[in-house]
Amino acid sequence: MSGIRTKKIGLLSTLILILPIFVLVLSLTIGSYPISPKNLLKTLASGIVSVFKHSPPSIYHDIVFRIRFPRLLLALAVGASLSVSGASLQAFFRNPLVNEYILGISSGSAFGAALSLVFLGKGFPVQLAAFFFAVIAVLAVFLIAGSSDAPIVSLLLTGVIVSAFFSALLALVEYFANPYALQALFFWLMGSLSLATWREISLSLPLMVLGIGVLILLRWRMNVLSMSSDEARALGIDVRRENMLVIVATALTTASATAVAGIISWVGLIVPHMVRMMVGVDNRRVIPLSAAFGASFLMLADDITRGLTSFEIPIGIFTNIIGIPLFIFLLKKSAKVWL
Amino acid sequence: MNYRAAIWLSILIGFFLAEAFPQTSRDASVDNKLIITDSLSRTISIPSKLERIISLQPELTRIIVSLGGGDKLVGLDAFLRRYDALFKMYYPKVSRLPLVSMTGADVNIEMVLELRPDVIFASPFEFHIPDSLQNKIRKPVVALASMGRFKSLIQEIELVGGLIGQRERASELIQYFKQKIEFVRNSVASIPQDERPKVYLSFWASLTKTPVFYEPVNAAGGVNIAEGLLPSFLGTTETVIHLEEIIQRNPDFILVQGNFLPEERMVTVEQVLQDARLGSVKAVKDRKVFYTFGFWSWWDPAEVLLETLYLASLLYPEKFGQINLEKEGNEIFKKFYGMENGFSLLSGILKCNEWNKN
Amino acid sequence: MSVRVEKLEFEYEDFSLRIENLQFESSRITSIVGPNGSGKTTFLKCIGGLLPIKKKSIFIDGQDISEMKGNKRARLIGYVPQEHGSLFNFSARDFVLMGRAPYHSPFSLPSDKDIQIAEEALEFVGLAAQSEKPYFYFSSGERRLVLIARSLAQRTDLLLLDEPTTFLDPKHEIEIMELVKKLAEEKKKTILITLHSLELALQYSDDMVFMKTGRVFAFGKPEEILTESLLKNIYDIEMKIVGYDGKKFILRSLSAKKN
Repeated sequence: MSGIRTKKIGLLSTLILILPIFVLVLSLTIGSYPISPKNLLKTLASGIVSVFKHSPPSIYHDIVFRIRFPRLLLALAVGASLSVSGASLQAFFRNPLVNEYILGISSGSAFGAALSLVFLGKGFPVQLAAFFFAVIAVLAVFLIAGSSDAPIVSLLLTGVIVSAFFSALLALVEYFANPYALQALFFWLMGSLSLATWREISLSLPLMVLGIGVLILLRWRMNVLSMSSDEARALGIDVRRENMLVIVATALTTASATAVAGIISWVGLIVPHMVRMMVGVDNRRVIPLSAAFGASFLMLADDITRGLTSFEIPIGIFTNIIGIPLFIFLLKKSAKVWL
Repeated sequence: MNYRAAIWLSILIGFFLAEAFPQTSRDASVDNKLIITDSLSRTISIPSKLERIISLQPELTRIIVSLGGGDKLVGLDAFLRRYDALFKMYYPKVSRLPLVSMTGADVNIEMVLELRPDVIFASPFEFHIPDSLQNKIRKPVVALASMGRFKSLIQEIELVGGLIGQRERASELIQYFKQKIEFVRNSVASIPQDERPKVYLSFWASLTKTPVFYEPVNAAGGVNIAEGLLPSFLGTTETVIHLEEIIQRNPDFILVQGNFLPEERMVTVEQVLQDARLGSVKAVKDRKVFYTFGFWSWWDPAEVLLETLYLASLLYPEKFGQINLEKEGNEIFKKFYGMENGFSLLSGILKCNEWNKN
Repeated sequence: MSVRVEKLEFEYEDFSLRIENLQFESSRITSIVGPNGSGKTTFLKCIGGLLPIKKKSIFIDGQDISEMKGNKRARLIGYVPQEHGSLFNFSARDFVLMGRAPYHSPFSLPSDKDIQIAEEALEFVGLAAQSEKPYFYFSSGERRLVLIARSLAQRTDLLLLDEPTTFLDPKHEIEIMELVKKLAEEKKKTILITLHSLELALQYSDDMVFMKTGRVFAFGKPEEILTESLLKNIYDIEMKIVGYDGKKFILRSLSAKKN
């Protein structure tokens, strides 16, 4: 009986792992500008060729390689980042309600974006400021809570406080902002993958990949870290150092994702739970599969926002609209207790 | 229940009743009250003669000043003081008027009460403000905005003219406005719809934010490619369009909002011309990417009139090439605000002379 | 292996622990008994590395454990807590597998050999057939077994067990203690166990440590140190030691009036 279940989990795991590739290819066909599958294939082929030999510009080429591809890659990376971070922090804090923004990252980066747009203008890359202040927020949490092996409740509470603080600062900046900068800020806060040009994602993509990589490498260790501090210490773990490692990795990953895509809620909270419902709580599976599933999930949400209407609906709406029914469906299918 | 409790209870109930049902004065004497419907479809009764006005809507403020009602303004919001360099020049009193609101979303109720206004003009974009403000201060709050439509703008001028006893001046301005607009409209009337140039407008600090309706473009004989994307009822005049959609609709012209200081502009013409993703768009290929004035959520009636002429000369250079925009602009600003060289000054601030150099 | 407590000092806000000159050897079970608040668990936690200790307090085979790196210490000392409460419902095997953590860097994954060790540990405690079962689905007695299995997978020579029999019914109490005995005899482990039940301590200990208010009042073989006056001293009530069936039992006087 248990052998069959293990086989089922194994199969499911493999499927989830390769899902992003299928979703990526499917997503390349979606967009306002009509490109038939045949033309898509031709464009992809010529795209590969053009790496070696210069070919004449074409609309299809521009659309596929300058608009769709970078945006999908961004969706993939951001979806994976937010999900892996959420999963890691849920294990780390032993709390199912935790999401990747819990340590003040969303408020910190929003404030950074506001500061940059309002006071530094267009000369300064918004992403850098957003990233910088997200990291500052996490550092503030560490400083205030005392250390990285402070009790979990302390870290959580401090995260809430730091978030509130930056939110207040954000409101203050909005008050003094000129309308133009304010408009740009609201657009950023909306959370959108539409800013994805190769240049914009060139910095954050490697950081996200690095962060995701580190967290995936830590996946078995996270099982151990999800025990109480006492038990972890009894197993010889340097709790302070390893807590720091997890927090820093998730902070970097989430901060770089948020810096480019704005605040996209719900993904980091819900994807890990859906994965656990499918394959159990062992983080050796949950962490990498959260990355794969999260990537597919966000690409799909973005497909809907790109394909449904001519205008852009904030992607956060669709992560909710498809996330919630999917969550309920999986809940019904799995044992009610999945944690 | 003893007597004391009964008294307190009735006081309490009376208090709640008074708060729960705000008085909306429906006086019998119709002559000195006007019933109007504002942009949020609220029906309000306002005095037919206004002496003390608070305006939180820059468009209305400019209209009031252009109609000569500047002395009736007792309080303003901060927008014009902070962001309109020209306004202080033809209405120096702006620096001395009390600021009742900094952002438009906040209102200093006590200051408002102190100023004893007859009416408050508010912006319909802060939808929660008109009703709550009205309930608190028991004075009519009217939310008006033109939303990119000339007809609404003209109605506002007419309404305000009547309310401040400047009906004649209002008619004069409206006539002048209509004349110029009709001149442009008639000149392009014969051009069939499918031969009109397609225009994409990038407003509000974002390449992909665009108004679904912007009349100056229509009047100047252009077609806004975003028109009809969303039903243009209140609050949705702006929308965010997909980049691919722009490429597909292939506009002949791209116009970027320019009524900001050059160093504050987030989206620039150079940026658009260099954006590799838009390389296949006709406007980019022909280098027909320009600045235009644009609007926030409110217009400057003089500026928008000029803008229409400017757009006409941009879209149909053969037809309107002979217009001397600077001369026209100065004339318009003089007509509305009594200012000499108003447009030249504005043009210096916004560096309009660089706008046609592509 | 030999464990030597040279001079252990630990302080809480209104409690201090001070233990000197104790030695524990292989294949022996030493039970630590005493009233609530006597410092039994604190003592165990100090040895187990859960509480910070000063240098030169505790030595294992001559090495100062405060100078050891975390994972080196965890390969020598295994700590079995009374209970485990956590959010996640790992399978017994995955749970026990975590005992292999001291042998891995943060970035490495358990090997097949590690998995084998985990399974062997489960087999030793008699739960091999239920290795897939999630931890919280086990009964509370079985959960203690899983916790012990985890420490077994750690392959340590010293095992510290904190009140492993509390809240269990008599049958399961015996089961756990029999397992502990097996660990001492078959696996030659040095075992330190805090117990609430004097009776179990008497039956199963090779040595006993009596503690009160953070001090050791007596240490040695039960038959040598157990006296009624010691018991009265430690527990503040009258107790009687009676013999039955060749074994010693301790009875409490329920009231001063009865005799």
